[in-house]
Amino acid sequence: MADITRRAMLATLGLGAIGTVVSWPRLTAQDIPGRGKSALTIALFGTEQDAQQRQGLIDGFQRKHPDIPVRIVAIQGQDWSEYFAKILTMIAAGTPPDVVTVATEGTQLFASRMAHPLDDFVQRDAAEMQEYFDDVHPSLIESFLYKGSLFQLPDNFNAANVFYNTSALQRAGLERPNDNWTVDDFFNVARKMKSSGQGSFLPYFWNNRLWGGVVPWLYVNKTSFLTEEKAPGGDWFWKKFYPNETPRGGGYLWENADALNDAAVESFSVLQRLVSEGLAANPAQGGGNELVALFSTGAVGMTPAGGYWVQGLKEAGVANDAYDVTYFPAMNGQRHQFGAGGYAIMDVSERKDEAWEWLKYCVSLEGMSIAHNKPDSSLPRKSLNDKLYGAGVGPAHWNVFYDTLIKFPTTGPMPAPPQQAAVESALLKNVVNTIMNGPGGVRPGLELMQRDLELALKGR
Amino acid sequence: MSNIDAVKTRSSLAGLGTFGKYLVLGIAAFLTIGPVVWTLITALNPQDPVTHVTTTGFEAFVDVFEKIPVWLYVWNTALVTVLVAAGQMISAAMAGYVFARFDFRGKNALFAVILATMMVPMQVTIVPVFMLIRGMGLADTLLALIIPALPTAFGTFLMRQYFMGLPVELGEAAEIDGAGPWKTFFSIYLPLSAPGLAIVGILAFNYHWNEFFRPLIMTISEQNFTLPLGLVSLQGKLGSGSVSTVLAGVIISMIPALLVFVFGQKPLREGLTAGAGK
Amino acid sequence: MMSTTTSPRKKNRALVWVFLAPTVIGLGLFSVVPIIGSVVLAFFRWDIITAPQFIGFDNFVQMGANPTIRVSFFNTLTFVVAAVIVQLAVALGLAILVQSRMPDWLRTFFRSALFFPLILSAASVSLIMAYLFNYEFGLINQFLTLIGVGKVGWLTTGFGAKVVVLIVYVWQNFGFTFLMFIGGIAGIPKEVYEASSIDGVVGWSQFRHITIPLISPTMLVASVMAIINALQIFDQPWVLTRGGPGDDTRTAVMVIYESAFRQLDFGGASAVGIVLTLVIMVVTGIQFQLSKRYVFYG
Repeated sequence: MADITRRAMLATLGLGAIGTVVSWPRLTAQDIPGRGKSALTIALFGTEQDAQQRQGLIDGFQRKHPDIPVRIVAIQGQDWSEYFAKILTMIAAGTPPDVVTVATEGTQLFASRMAHPLDDFVQRDAAEMQEYFDDVHPSLIESFLYKGSLFQLPDNFNAANVFYNTSALQRAGLERPNDNWTVDDFFNVARKMKSSGQGSFLPYFWNNRLWGGVVPWLYVNKTSFLTEEKAPGGDWFWKKFYPNETPRGGGYLWENADALNDAAVESFSVLQRLVSEGLAANPAQGGGNELVALFSTGAVGMTPAGGYWVQGLKEAGVANDAYDVTYFPAMNGQRHQFGAGGYAIMDVSERKDEAWEWLKYCVSLEGMSIAHNKPDSSLPRKSLNDKLYGAGVGPAHWNVFYDTLIKFPTTGPMPAPPQQAAVESALLKNVVNTIMNGPGGVRPGLELMQRDLELALKGR
Repeated sequence: MSNIDAVKTRSSLAGLGTFGKYLVLGIAAFLTIGPVVWTLITALNPQDPVTHVTTTGFEAFVDVFEKIPVWLYVWNTALVTVLVAAGQMISAAMAGYVFARFDFRGKNALFAVILATMMVPMQVTIVPVFMLIRGMGLADTLLALIIPALPTAFGTFLMRQYFMGLPVELGEAAEIDGAGPWKTFFSIYLPLSAPGLAIVGILAFNYHWNEFFRPLIMTISEQNFTLPLGLVSLQGKLGSGSVSTVLAGVIISMIPALLVFVFGQKPLREGLTAGAGK
Repeated sequence: MMSTTTSPRKKNRALVWVFLAPTVIGLGLFSVVPIIGSVVLAFFRWDIITAPQFIGFDNFVQMGANPTIRVSFFNTLTFVVAAVIVQLAVALGLAILVQSRMPDWLRTFFRSALFFPLILSAASVSLIMAYLFNYEFGLINQFLTLIGVGKVGWLTTGFGAKVVVLIVYVWQNFGFTFLMFIGGIAGIPKEVYEASSIDGVVGWSQFRHITIPLISPTMLVASVMAIINALQIFDQPWVLTRGGPGDDTRTAVMVIYESAFRQLDFGGASAVGIVLTLVIMVVTGIQFQLSKRYVFYG
């Protein structure tokens, strides 16, 4: 008996050893093509599918630069902070990427620690770059300036707008609201939508996040939850590339917590009223995956979204005329929020010149139209944005996407200082308590938020 | 009900007691299986529970295979899980045997240190471990997930308990017959410890099959991802994936663990029955 | 213990060292060295990219001053107390019921069903549960609305979120404790029960005076494991609530993860980790001391 067991045991061990040897290339990852070979490595936030979709971009780039091998690494994450942590891991592992995609959330984090300024490159190739800047709104560029230097070239952006279900509006007996509608109008629309809706219909559904969460409501009230200043510098850039504009300084600075100012209290009170009247959902954290479904089936009347959503709704089978888009309503002002994305060059990269060629190609007319052949994000080049959404793939008022920048020149990026991750959690974790505990709960909630924001900004 | 040989002291309330017992167990079983059955129904249901959009039932499953390289991830996860489970069974059997049967200086202190490593959250040590892995040239490989997981404090503890439960006399008899310590272990105790080893193996399999945190930190290339990471990519960037697809992915990832559970249940239970509490 | 008289000591020593080597070297390299590393790290400011900077006890001082960290430790401890009690009680109760008289096939069915959640990953369980407990569209609130209770803010109120995290955690983890108790109960000789029944010791009193003392060693191991695991809770609140609303479900390990991998403060994260480890060790030590008085080794 014991002998049989021992024989079986030895056989198992032998099989295991053979199996291990056979699968050794997989265990050591030697079977990944291109691994260990030197190439311009580009890290992007997304899944492998997103990486595959970039193949056309790589092909286009290599037609121009056949001597520069390119490898794309897709990095997954629940949110931008996880993406940044992963980039850090790559640096720690000794395999840092040369180029990274960075959105507004991470611009200052990367700029302050890991990214290489583009100033010299932009000035060197000024003649070539002028055509790009002529096509791009300065507000987008401004969001990528940090302490006087330029760190990224916008490749996509999304302004926070209000998407609405056209039949919910019709059912409520209402016309499309004016562009300069007010919060009172918004309440009116929401109430009428609610009374004409059925079952669990919700006039306004939103997620508690930095983009499209509470921030648009603060911006339209000419306030924020952090102080906002402009860094000095940047004249070199503005004078050269936007000579007709007043120089806008060297980029945004968000250095102090400011959640307790009167306008902020007012904005949060509006949200508190919306939720307590049953006009708006209790904001779920994250939960993005139910939103398309809810909106596409008419369970939701209005929701914050941007140009990226057109593709999502198309995939869910929503007809172009089933929904439309407008601006957030005005309070004391009507400033809007956007987030932008673009490539940055890593400071540790030894292929900075090649990396710059990649950046330039991606924002060129050819590169940007290859990269964004679907309406999955608004484009910083107005010409291409018009071409993309003007082709009849989106809502009737697709002009809103870019006009958010043009018609409202104060429109700005979401606040994202270098301590973005800590700041974001300090904001988000206090939103629910602030608006869910009655009118009297707003100020105490904001006091906690202020405390947490102060701690977050003090962090390194 | 097999009440034939029921103990005589039972009162007439026994019927009600039996009914209550089955009621409680039935509710408990409903609560443990229910959510998973719901998941399966939702993933298969042609009508989405949230949106009431009608699709063909298997669309969500097809979608999973389209969105992520399921087979590659299954293979990666299987490699990691099987090698870790095998390694843990070997290392725990050996170390547990020594702690159960031999005396040497510093034994208790060493055992205490081994147990203490269980009390340090992995999130605390992951960065230094990562640095070690990088030093070994194994960054972003499956071996980075396997090698640090081969020794097991909990498995060593379990096997020590198990060997302590086996009679000392067996070994003594073997040695009187002239068997050396190696032979005593390999031909007497190791075969007897199979149920204990089964627990270590099954627990290791279960844990590492479902493991999320270490792969998240340790792997970079998507070719090295394990199944739980693949599930996250089904949720899409910023959580925009479809509910049914995510749930279908959950079901697919569950199948191998379910198989191990079905076939491993008996040894697991026997092992715990024989080894527990000694 | 091994009788050392019958075999030459030298042979034993070779076996001892060969057998210990994989575990001792492995744990030494991948647990002890990293633990020492993170103790050292706790006295530095480090973000991986720039060089570490020695700052003495500053990380510990910052930690004491941070209300979020204080709350997270408080949450963790209250969670552990509640979760361990519920987990042990549910597991023991169900184990006794399953081990009582019933047809074998039914026993097998109940055992499998009750053990089942353990095979799922914490991430997928939390995902499923997040859908079930969703405020607007979750099955549970739909049911509660149907029976007239109305919607409950499971994940959106502090108390509700704590309850959900507790339910989901216990739901997934009681299976292992349950199996351990089954083992413990099955280990009690039938004769003991029969003898006590003849003496008129039945029902509660049998449970109290026979079952409990005889499975107390199992109970000790089960509760030590349960406490060590519960003190390290992370996955469930991370997926379900991200620590919210406010800091109501933020746990110590979550703070470690967030400081390290979101705020890039690896020194601060190590400091929190060391304090948590010390808490775990102290609690476990106290448990073993108490067990000397209460555990019955037949």
